[in-house]
Amino acid sequence: MFNGIDFEKLFNLFVYDQYDPLLFGTSLFLFLFFGLLIVYRLVQNQKQLRVFLLIVFSLFFYYKVSGLFFSLLILSSIINFYAGKFIKCTSNSKRKLIFITTVLLNLALLGYFKYTNFFIQIISDLNLAHWDALEILLPIGISFYTFKALSYVIEIYLENIEPEENFFHFLLYISFFPNIMAGPIDRPGEFLPQINKSPVLNNKQIGFALLLIVSGLFKKAVIADYLSLNFVDRVFDFPVRFTGVENLLAVYGYGLQIYCDFSGYTDMALGIALLLGYNLMENFRWPYKATSISDFWRRWHISLSSWLLDYVFKPLQIKLRNLKIWGNALAILITFVAIGFWHGASWLYILFGFIHGFYIAFSLFVQKPKRALYDKLGLTGSKLLRVFQVIVTFHLVSFAWIFFRARSFENAFGMLRQIFTYFHSEVFMQFIVAYKPVVAMMVIGYLLHFLPNAFEKKSAEFLSKIPVVLQAAILAIMIWIVVQVRSADIQPFIYFQY
Amino acid sequence: MISEKLKNVILKELNLKDFDFTESTTADQVPGWDSLSHINIILAIEKDFNIRFKGMEIMKMKNLGDLQKIVDSKLNSKVA
Repeated sequence: MFNGIDFEKLFNLFVYDQYDPLLFGTSLFLFLFFGLLIVYRLVQNQKQLRVFLLIVFSLFFYYKVSGLFFSLLILSSIINFYAGKFIKCTSNSKRKLIFITTVLLNLALLGYFKYTNFFIQIISDLNLAHWDALEILLPIGISFYTFKALSYVIEIYLENIEPEENFFHFLLYISFFPNIMAGPIDRPGEFLPQINKSPVLNNKQIGFALLLIVSGLFKKAVIADYLSLNFVDRVFDFPVRFTGVENLLAVYGYGLQIYCDFSGYTDMALGIALLLGYNLMENFRWPYKATSISDFWRRWHISLSSWLLDYVFKPLQIKLRNLKIWGNALAILITFVAIGFWHGASWLYILFGFIHGFYIAFSLFVQKPKRALYDKLGLTGSKLLRVFQVIVTFHLVSFAWIFFRARSFENAFGMLRQIFTYFHSEVFMQFIVAYKPVVAMMVIGYLLHFLPNAFEKKSAEFLSKIPVVLQAAILAIMIWIVVQVRSADIQPFIYFQY
Repeated sequence: MISEKLKNVILKELNLKDFDFTESTTADQVPGWDSLSHINIILAIEKDFNIRFKGMEIMKMKNLGDLQKIVDSKLNSKVA
């Protein structure tokens, strides 16, 4: 009866393949996850079994995306688990030493995999020595789980949390598969207590989780992948082949693409975690509705920005406080350069961070005259001012995205040159005619984003109230749209490379 | 109890007329008390009370009650 099954093929599905990582939204993932859910429901009242099952699945999942690097996860968990214990039970002078050593160890691990070749390149460029670049593969998600581990030791050092007693609970915190590859960078104080809670869900929560997964898939597979493959990539790869109009629209398109890619991934991660009984941290809050750059960072990749705010910006700000406003500005600049550098070893990312840091630092100095001007014009608190601020903020963010996405400085400046010196507004109408689906996707994407916040709340309430059959029909329609529109393969998530 | 003096320093720094501060009040509940103005409030307290906080003391403060306690302990050690 097993004649029709190719066992080698079946076996290979469970073996790491560098070119075929396990992604949310792929049929293999959905199949395995469904299997996990069934077993998980059977053992949901037995804590140890439940935790064990999640750890095994998480490690297998990470093995399927990163091969033998899953051993690094275990190593990192062991180091940080025991460091947390030592920090707690050691007296003052040694405590600081253990803490700093652990932080440096984590950063060294991250630095080796992520930044070694960048520094080798700098040394070569400065003619200090000539070393060849090393062949280093980047373990997927290392920036995310290292930051989770760091958060744990820092919170213990600051006496905000007690060290976790159970190693397996800590291992689950570090390796939890929904957020291992691209966050959210959950805090131990929020995550660890949830392990002890019963994961039984009511129908409303299950409905909400499924909605999150499907809307995430829709954002990712329909909007982000479509825009990227059919328009954005082409322009960013060869900006000088296009007019300013197309370049500008590609920048707007990229803003929507990266939002739908990353927040789509996050929605799926949140939905998957919720089905297992875990509430992960919110990572996005309509970022393009921001009225200032600092407001943008309270809405964009919140788990990273709040991490750096708490653990980098605040200590720096305190150290530099005697410099008053200059101390604040310097702390902001350093923090944002760190945000840029966190994304990858490239001067373009560093510039991206610097631009955002500069925006916020600059706004510190003009805050008072700006407020006085708005008061004088009678604009303070008005809707008009809000709209103006949203448009300006959106364009400042878009400007920085150019450096984030461009493959080289040459391309980035080429794009800006086309926009400012080769605009050709008459191309706009031709573009709409030639790229109808792209334009439609962008209009729908941004419209959905700019709908009033109450709309999302009301539609979630509406969905939770309608009969199960209708809920299932809506889900089926959304899945059907995803299948129809999505490109042949789901594209790798942008944030997996960080 | 949050002392009148501490309350006034904070109100002045945040340009507020009045606010009902309690020991459990956290920064995010007070209008204008964000991560940028936080350090200005700390600086104003240090100046007006003529004290100096340690970095870790500022990092560990969770609410106004913590802030009041640290201010009081600094003032007491000065008297002693």
